[in-house]
Amino acid sequence: MHVACSPELTLRRPFSVAGVPSAGEIEILFEVRGPGTASLARRDGGDIVSVMGPLGNAFTADPSRLPVLVAGGIGAAGLRLLAQSIADGGEDAVVLVGARDAGRLLDGPFPGTSDGGSIRILTATDDGSAGFAGTVCGLLEATLDATGREVRLFACGPDAMIREVARIAGERDVPCEVSLEERMACGVGACRGCVVPTVDGYRTVCADGPVFDAARLVFEEEPGV
Amino acid sequence: MSDLTTTIAGLRMTTPVVLASGAVGYGHEYEGLIDFAAVGAIVTKTITPAPRPGNAPPRICETAGGMLNSIGLENVGLAAFLESELPRAAGLGAPVVASVAGETDEGFGELTAAVGERDEVAAVELNISCPNVERRATPLWADATRVADIVVAARARTGKPILVKLSPNVTDAVPVALAAESAGADALVVANTMPGMRIDTERMAPALGNTTGGLSGAALLPINLALVWKVAGAVSIPIVGSGGVRAVDDALEYLLAGAVAVQVGTALFTEPDTPRRIADGLRRRMKEEGVADVAEYVGRAREYAT
Repeated sequence: MHVACSPELTLRRPFSVAGVPSAGEIEILFEVRGPGTASLARRDGGDIVSVMGPLGNAFTADPSRLPVLVAGGIGAAGLRLLAQSIADGGEDAVVLVGARDAGRLLDGPFPGTSDGGSIRILTATDDGSAGFAGTVCGLLEATLDATGREVRLFACGPDAMIREVARIAGERDVPCEVSLEERMACGVGACRGCVVPTVDGYRTVCADGPVFDAARLVFEEEPGV
Repeated sequence: MSDLTTTIAGLRMTTPVVLASGAVGYGHEYEGLIDFAAVGAIVTKTITPAPRPGNAPPRICETAGGMLNSIGLENVGLAAFLESELPRAAGLGAPVVASVAGETDEGFGELTAAVGERDEVAAVELNISCPNVERRATPLWADATRVADIVVAARARTGKPILVKLSPNVTDAVPVALAAESAGADALVVANTMPGMRIDTERMAPALGNTTGGLSGAALLPINLALVWKVAGAVSIPIVGSGGVRAVDDALEYLLAGAVAVQVGTALFTEPDTPRRIADGLRRRMKEEGVADVAEYVGRAREYAT
């Protein structure tokens, strides 16, 4: 969804749909990072905000494989709706939620086993204050080592996490879709502002994405490596 | 009553609100979001002979009162434009102005010939002012002699109206404007974006992948409005004002300064309904003031020229 957060700002801000509580109603989940999200956080119930969307594509399911969702930080917002639809369908899934510390973990919004589905939520914190001690990618490797099932990965989170998830998926030959974030202007594929490099050339996050097959993304050399 | 019809050298537009090149892609991306009935013309993404991948990301960055972009003329190339994008743009209901950029004078000429012969193209805009691809010591847009050569080359290849989009990044825009006019341009678009940059303090690196980009949006309005004011006093061909038009009063300022129409670009990102709002706002204002023809506003503020 492309949201006009404040009349002071030129650019709208892109957000994933985190939930659809009822027909005609959507939820977004965001972290205050800059002037756009700060302005949005100051809004009151009943305020009118201009929203364009839904724009772009969505994750694609493969019922023959166990979905493993990898959420880093606010990336949880990009995976919550997928987890909900899996839970609503009564299917199994594993959700890996990572953050720097326990206070920043966003496992709360995910549907749990109590909601009817069989969604297993595992957490990881960089400082070891909750769940697996280490990154969510470390937890992912441990999870993949332990599971006996064919897996399909879905990931959303910071660039470094996406890069690492893509590497793990490639190494283990596991299909993997990632939802990307980029600064965005038009939201409809017109301005070519939010492109990412892929094996097919530059593709827009707004219209061609935000979901991409991780195997088709091209990652630049990490600076200093 | 309240006639917004505007004609630029035979290019007949139902409103003086034109969609700016770059912001609007090939037009069809905005289908269902922009009300094309309120649009005087669509200027499509600048086309080069071969497809261009564009500059390395990040390509955009917000700044107070606007944004920076360094797209780098990413486009599908002439063949794909003629084959698929142009027919789709032409189906939107507004005349299509094809924006082109060649590497050489003859390159501009050939592109102009190729787009100009198509029925779907109502006019050609020569983009001599993209700040994101120029590498010469004296940029093309500041070189009146080269601009004249380009316009001559294009003029020889089409009978359709030719618009030349100038750059605000010049000490004096008048010599370039006069050169374009005497070389056969039918109208001038004043003007493109202004070079600028921001630095990402977290990464301690330029915010844009290409280091610098073009500033657009509200912050550009006073700069380009002053250029329109100056150029309108020097040339006799029509001027299309461009830069920071977000609302009806912004458009009106350009008209009062001497432009016959305006281009809207960055404002579409904030609000795709901007053309409809401006067109309706102009009609409302004209009705209130008993103005029958929008042309009556053109240059009205010039009587105060000092």
